[in-house]
Amino acid sequence: MTPFDFFVLSGLLFAVGLFGVIVRRNVISLFFSLELLLNSANVLLVGFSKLHRNLFGEVFVFFVLAVAAAEAAVGLAVVVALYRYRKSVNTEDFSILRW
Amino acid sequence: MREIFFYLFAFLSVAFAVISVTHRNVIKGGIALLSSFVSLGAVYFTAGAEFIGIVQVIVYGGAIVVLYLFALMTMDLKSFGKEPLRTLSVAVGGAVSLVLLVSVLYAGYKFYGGAVTAGISGAKEIALPLFYRFLLPFEVVSVLLLVATVGAVAVGRREE
Repeated sequence: MTPFDFFVLSGLLFAVGLFGVIVRRNVISLFFSLELLLNSANVLLVGFSKLHRNLFGEVFVFFVLAVAAAEAAVGLAVVVALYRYRKSVNTEDFSILRW
Repeated sequence: MREIFFYLFAFLSVAFAVISVTHRNVIKGGIALLSSFVSLGAVYFTAGAEFIGIVQVIVYGGAIVVLYLFALMTMDLKSFGKEPLRTLSVAVGGAVSLVLLVSVLYAGYKFYGGAVTAGISGAKEIALPLFYRFLLPFEVVSVLLLVATVGAVAVGRREE
């Protein structure tokens, strides 16, 4: 394993997640893509942590996990509330939120 | 041996990520995302990050994806409707993510660093920096989780 392998894995995951964020219109799929973006950062943090023989990167991954869990809980609550209001999870039906 | 498993699980996680992003059925996308996260946990194991691999499977696989699937169960999947494939957004998304991928790969190619040596970092090794050097952030994270829980309940509550 070289550092380049971690770069490749992280870059591929980030590219896939970014593609999903731009292309998908379903809010749940958008959340899936967001989780992929967070995970790609985690891959590089673990890789650098192993490269430098320093555990701070892995500690940071732990914090990223906690923030991801909080984001998922609040985001899903918002989506469920919006679904009750609009009976839809398509982002185009939420254009009323736009100023 | 470790390298073989690293490449195998890295390939699996990217393949499942592609499925989860492109699949039209959201439930199947969620299951693919679950597989992608479990494969990433295996990647962390092959890199020697034992504790992170376990937490990845428990938190991402066991908590977050299951939370999404539970929320999907409260919705009417038939009402989601078809997502028309817009060529413009696919082209823009593909171009942007391709540019980003190339720049990350270029940075990785230019990056000088030795081989990744995998000492195993289990719960014991992580606990030392986590509870000495990063104790305050750790406590702040607990407050963040409490705020997120209260906020989720407050937002998701049904107005009477």
